[in-house]
Amino acid sequence: MSSRRSRSRQQTSSASRITEDQINDLVSKLQTLLPEAHIRSGDRVSAARVLQETCNYIRNLHREVDDLSERLSELLSTTDMSSAQAAIIRSLLM
Amino acid sequence: MLASASIEAGSTSGKKQRTGSPNQAQIKWRTGAQERIYNRRLIEALRAARGAARPGAHAVKEAADSALALTARGQSRWSRAILTSRLRRRKLLVKAVGRIRRRRRSPVPSKRDPAAMKVGRVVPGCRSLPAPTLLEEAADYVAALEMQVKAMRALADALSSARIASPESEAAES
Repeated sequence: MSSRRSRSRQQTSSASRITEDQINDLVSKLQTLLPEAHIRSGDRVSAARVLQETCNYIRNLHREVDDLSERLSELLSTTDMSSAQAAIIRSLLM
Repeated sequence: MLASASIEAGSTSGKKQRTGSPNQAQIKWRTGAQERIYNRRLIEALRAARGAARPGAHAVKEAADSALALTARGQSRWSRAILTSRLRRRKLLVKAVGRIRRRRRSPVPSKRDPAAMKVGRVVPGCRSLPAPTLLEEAADYVAALEMQVKAMRALADALSSARIASPESEAAES
Protein backbone atom coordinates (compact mmCIF):
# COMPACT_ATOMS: atom_id res chain seq x y z
CA MET A 1 0.00 0.00 0.00
CA SER A 2 2.27 2.78 -1.19
CA SER A 3 1.21 6.33 -0.64
CA ARG A 4 3.70 7.63 -3.17
CA ARG A 5 2.55 7.20 -6.72
CA SER A 6 6.02 7.41 -8.16
CA ARG A 7 6.72 5.37 -11.23
CA SER A 8 10.34 4.93 -10.36
CA ARG A 9 12.16 1.64 -10.91
CA GLN A 10 12.61 1.12 -7.19
CA GLN A 11 8.90 0.74 -6.62
CA THR A 12 8.42 -2.77 -7.95
CA SER A 13 5.05 -3.62 -6.49
CA SER A 14 3.06 -2.85 -3.39
CA ALA A 15 3.87 -6.32 -2.15
CA SER A 16 7.51 -5.42 -1.78
CA ARG A 17 6.66 -2.48 0.50
CA ILE A 18 6.87 -4.42 3.69
CA THR A 19 5.42 -2.40 6.52
CA GLU A 20 6.18 -2.58 10.20
CA ASP A 21 2.55 -3.45 10.79
CA GLN A 22 2.70 -6.47 8.53
CA ILE A 23 5.74 -7.78 10.33
CA ASN A 24 4.23 -7.14 13.73
CA ASP A 25 1.10 -8.86 12.65
CA LEU A 26 2.98 -11.95 11.52
CA VAL A 27 5.04 -11.93 14.69
CA SER A 28 2.01 -11.80 16.92
CA LYS A 29 0.42 -14.63 15.01
CA LEU A 30 3.61 -16.64 15.37
CA GLN A 31 3.37 -15.94 19.05
CA THR A 32 0.05 -17.76 19.21
CA LEU A 33 1.76 -20.92 18.01
CA LEU A 34 4.29 -20.90 20.80
CA PRO A 35 3.62 -22.80 23.99
CA GLU A 36 1.85 -20.69 26.58
CA ALA A 37 4.40 -21.45 29.26
CA HIS A 38 7.05 -19.37 27.54
CA ILE A 39 5.07 -16.37 26.51
CA ARG A 40 1.89 -15.12 28.07
CA SER A 41 -0.20 -14.42 25.02
CA GLY A 42 -1.90 -11.57 26.83
CA ASP A 43 1.29 -9.56 27.12
CA ARG A 44 2.75 -7.57 24.33
CA VAL A 45 6.21 -9.06 24.03
CA SER A 46 8.89 -7.78 21.73
CA ALA A 47 9.29 -9.25 18.28
CA ALA A 48 12.84 -10.22 19.12
CA ARG A 49 11.60 -12.22 22.09
CA VAL A 50 9.04 -14.05 19.98
CA LEU A 51 11.69 -14.89 17.40
CA GLN A 52 14.06 -16.13 20.05
CA GLU A 53 11.34 -18.26 21.59
CA THR A 54 10.47 -19.58 18.16
CA CYS A 55 14.08 -20.62 17.63
CA ASN A 56 14.16 -22.35 20.97
CA TYR A 57 10.85 -24.04 20.35
CA ILE A 58 11.93 -25.34 16.95
CA ARG A 59 15.14 -26.66 18.45
CA ASN A 60 13.18 -28.39 21.21
CA LEU A 61 10.89 -29.95 18.66
CA HIS A 62 13.90 -31.17 16.70
CA ARG A 63 15.24 -32.75 19.84
CA GLU A 64 11.93 -34.44 20.51
CA VAL A 65 11.97 -35.82 16.98
CA ASP A 66 15.49 -37.13 17.54
CA ASP A 67 14.46 -38.83 20.79
CA LEU A 68 11.40 -40.33 19.18
CA SER A 69 13.53 -41.53 16.28
CA GLU A 70 15.77 -43.35 18.74
CA ARG A 71 12.80 -44.86 20.44
CA LEU A 72 11.19 -45.90 17.16
CA SER A 73 14.42 -47.38 15.90
CA GLU A 74 14.63 -49.60 18.96
CA LEU A 75 10.99 -50.57 18.74
CA LEU A 76 11.24 -51.37 15.05
CA SER A 77 14.23 -53.60 15.50
CA THR A 78 12.17 -55.95 17.58
CA THR A 79 8.86 -55.66 15.82
CA ASP A 80 8.20 -56.59 12.26
CA MET A 81 6.46 -54.20 9.94
CA SER A 82 3.12 -55.97 9.73
CA SER A 83 2.44 -55.61 13.41
CA ALA A 84 3.56 -52.01 13.13
CA GLN A 85 0.90 -51.49 10.51
CA ALA A 86 -1.70 -53.15 12.67
CA ALA A 87 -0.66 -50.86 15.52
CA ILE A 88 -1.06 -47.83 13.30
CA ILE A 89 -4.49 -48.83 12.16
CA ARG A 90 -5.50 -49.42 15.72
CA SER A 91 -4.20 -46.05 16.88
CA LEU A 92 -5.87 -44.27 13.99
CA LEU A 93 -9.20 -45.78 14.78
CA MET A 94 -9.05 -44.88 18.44
CA MET B 1 -1.36 -27.36 24.80
CA LEU B 2 -2.19 -29.25 21.68
CA ALA B 3 -5.55 -30.38 22.99
CA SER B 4 -6.77 -26.85 23.53
CA ALA B 5 -5.40 -25.73 20.20
CA SER B 6 -7.34 -28.28 18.24
CA ILE B 7 -10.58 -26.87 19.53
CA GLU B 8 -9.45 -23.42 18.47
CA ALA B 9 -8.59 -24.55 14.98
CA GLY B 10 -12.19 -24.66 13.88
CA SER B 11 -13.05 -21.21 15.08
CA THR B 12 -10.13 -19.25 13.68
CA SER B 13 -11.49 -19.52 10.18
CA GLY B 14 -13.65 -16.50 10.94
CA LYS B 15 -10.59 -14.23 10.89
CA LYS B 16 -9.73 -12.25 7.83
CA GLN B 17 -6.90 -14.14 6.18
CA ARG B 18 -4.01 -12.02 5.06
CA THR B 19 -1.41 -13.40 2.74
CA GLY B 20 -0.47 -16.66 4.43
CA SER B 21 -1.29 -15.84 8.01
CA PRO B 22 0.09 -18.32 10.54
CA ASN B 23 -3.41 -19.22 11.64
CA GLN B 24 -3.66 -21.03 8.37
CA ALA B 25 -0.72 -23.13 9.49
CA GLN B 26 -2.53 -24.13 12.64
CA ILE B 27 -5.68 -25.06 10.81
CA LYS B 28 -3.83 -27.07 8.23
CA TRP B 29 -1.61 -29.12 10.47
CA ARG B 30 -3.89 -29.72 13.38
CA THR B 31 -6.61 -31.52 11.50
CA GLY B 32 -6.64 -35.27 11.90
CA ALA B 33 -6.46 -35.66 8.13
CA GLN B 34 -2.89 -34.39 7.89
CA GLU B 35 -1.82 -36.67 10.68
CA ARG B 36 -3.35 -39.69 8.99
CA ILE B 37 -1.60 -38.84 5.74
CA TYR B 38 1.62 -38.40 7.63
CA ASN B 39 1.25 -41.76 9.36
CA ARG B 40 0.89 -43.44 6.02
CA ARG B 41 3.89 -41.67 4.56
CA LEU B 42 5.92 -42.43 7.64
CA ILE B 43 5.20 -46.14 7.44
CA GLU B 44 6.09 -46.16 3.75
CA ALA B 45 9.32 -44.34 4.41
CA LEU B 46 10.23 -46.60 7.31
CA ARG B 47 9.53 -49.61 5.18
CA ALA B 48 11.77 -48.27 2.45
CA ALA B 49 14.47 -47.50 4.98
CA ARG B 50 14.50 -51.04 6.32
CA GLY B 51 16.49 -52.45 3.46
CA ALA B 52 19.11 -54.83 4.71
CA ALA B 53 19.81 -53.60 8.20
CA ARG B 54 17.40 -52.40 10.82
CA PRO B 55 16.78 -48.67 10.60
CA GLY B 56 19.01 -46.79 13.01
CA ALA B 57 17.84 -43.63 14.70
CA HIS B 58 19.30 -41.52 11.93
CA ALA B 59 17.45 -43.46 9.23
CA VAL B 60 14.23 -43.15 11.17
CA LYS B 61 14.69 -39.41 11.47
CA GLU B 62 15.33 -39.09 7.75
CA ALA B 63 12.23 -41.14 7.04
CA ALA B 64 10.21 -38.99 9.43
CA ASP B 65 11.42 -35.76 7.81
CA SER B 66 10.87 -36.97 4.26
CA ALA B 67 7.41 -38.11 5.19
CA LEU B 68 6.72 -34.70 6.71
CA ALA B 69 7.91 -32.89 3.59
CA LEU B 70 5.76 -35.14 1.42
CA THR B 71 2.74 -34.51 3.60
CA ALA B 72 3.33 -30.80 3.07
CA ARG B 73 3.18 -31.52 -0.66
CA GLY B 74 6.01 -29.17 -1.37
CA GLN B 75 3.80 -26.19 -0.74
CA SER B 76 6.29 -24.52 1.52
CA ARG B 77 9.93 -23.66 1.12
CA TRP B 78 11.04 -25.78 4.02
CA SER B 79 9.34 -28.87 2.63
CA ARG B 80 10.84 -28.33 -0.80
CA ALA B 81 14.24 -27.88 0.82
CA ILE B 82 13.93 -31.23 2.59
CA LEU B 83 12.78 -33.02 -0.56
CA THR B 84 15.51 -31.43 -2.65
CA SER B 85 18.25 -32.39 -0.26
CA ARG B 86 17.05 -36.01 -0.29
CA LEU B 87 17.09 -36.13 -4.06
CA ARG B 88 20.50 -34.57 -4.21
CA ARG B 89 21.77 -37.23 -1.92
CA ARG B 90 20.42 -39.93 -4.19
CA LYS B 91 21.79 -38.08 -7.23
CA LEU B 92 18.53 -38.17 -9.09
CA LEU B 93 17.66 -35.56 -11.67
CA VAL B 94 19.38 -32.72 -9.90
CA LYS B 95 18.96 -30.40 -12.84
CA ALA B 96 15.25 -30.95 -13.14
CA VAL B 97 14.79 -30.35 -9.44
CA GLY B 98 16.77 -27.14 -9.68
CA ARG B 99 14.23 -25.76 -12.09
CA ILE B 100 11.42 -25.93 -9.57
CA ARG B 101 10.25 -22.39 -9.34
CA ARG B 102 12.29 -20.52 -6.86
CA ARG B 103 10.31 -17.39 -6.61
CA ARG B 104 12.46 -14.82 -4.93
CA ARG B 105 10.44 -11.70 -4.71
CA SER B 106 13.35 -9.42 -4.18
CA PRO B 107 16.95 -10.30 -4.94
CA VAL B 108 17.97 -8.33 -1.89
CA PRO B 109 15.81 -9.14 1.13
CA SER B 110 14.43 -5.79 2.04
CA LYS B 111 13.78 -6.33 5.69
CA ARG B 112 16.38 -8.47 7.34
CA ASP B 113 17.13 -8.43 11.00
CA PRO B 114 19.48 -10.57 13.05
CA ALA B 115 16.73 -12.02 15.21
CA ALA B 116 14.88 -13.26 12.16
CA MET B 117 18.04 -14.78 10.80
CA LYS B 118 18.30 -16.90 13.92
CA VAL B 119 14.99 -18.44 12.95
CA GLY B 120 16.15 -18.78 9.36
CA ARG B 121 18.94 -21.04 10.51
CA VAL B 122 16.67 -23.60 12.12
CA VAL B 123 14.06 -23.79 9.37
CA PRO B 124 15.30 -25.80 6.39
CA GLY B 125 15.90 -23.85 3.23
CA CYS B 126 15.10 -20.51 4.76
CA ARG B 127 18.44 -19.04 5.58
CA SER B 128 18.28 -15.92 3.48
CA LEU B 129 14.68 -14.95 3.18
CA PRO B 130 13.03 -11.62 3.80
CA ALA B 131 11.43 -11.40 7.20
CA PRO B 132 7.73 -11.76 6.28
CA THR B 133 8.29 -14.87 4.17
CA LEU B 134 10.53 -16.28 6.83
CA LEU B 135 7.90 -15.75 9.49
CA GLU B 136 5.28 -17.49 7.41
CA GLU B 137 7.59 -20.42 6.76
CA ALA B 138 8.48 -20.61 10.44
CA ALA B 139 4.84 -20.68 11.49
CA ASP B 140 4.06 -23.46 9.05
CA TYR B 141 7.16 -25.36 10.09
CA VAL B 142 6.35 -25.10 13.80
CA ALA B 143 2.85 -26.41 13.25
CA ALA B 144 4.18 -29.23 11.07
CA LEU B 145 6.82 -30.21 13.61
CA GLU B 146 4.22 -30.36 16.36
CA MET B 147 2.20 -32.72 14.23
CA GLN B 148 5.27 -34.80 13.49
CA VAL B 149 6.08 -35.16 17.18
CA LYS B 150 2.49 -36.04 17.98
CA ALA B 151 2.34 -38.68 15.23
CA MET B 152 5.71 -40.23 16.04
CA ARG B 153 4.84 -40.41 19.69
CA ALA B 154 1.52 -42.08 18.86
CA LEU B 155 3.32 -44.59 16.67
CA ALA B 156 5.92 -45.32 19.32
CA ASP B 157 3.23 -45.77 21.96
CA ALA B 158 1.22 -48.03 19.69
CA LEU B 159 4.29 -50.13 18.95
CA SER B 160 5.19 -50.35 22.62
CA SER B 161 1.78 -51.59 23.55
CA ALA B 162 1.76 -54.00 20.62
CA ARG B 163 5.08 -55.27 21.81
CA ILE B 164 3.84 -55.84 25.32
CA ALA B 165 0.89 -57.72 23.90
CA SER B 166 3.01 -60.11 21.85
CA PRO B 167 5.95 -61.31 23.89
CA GLU B 168 7.39 -63.53 21.15
CA SER B 169 8.86 -60.48 19.47
CA GLU B 170 11.46 -60.15 22.21
CA ALA B 171 13.15 -63.27 20.92
CA ALA B 172 14.61 -61.12 18.13
CA GLU B 173 16.53 -59.02 20.62
CA SER B 174 19.88 -60.13 21.47
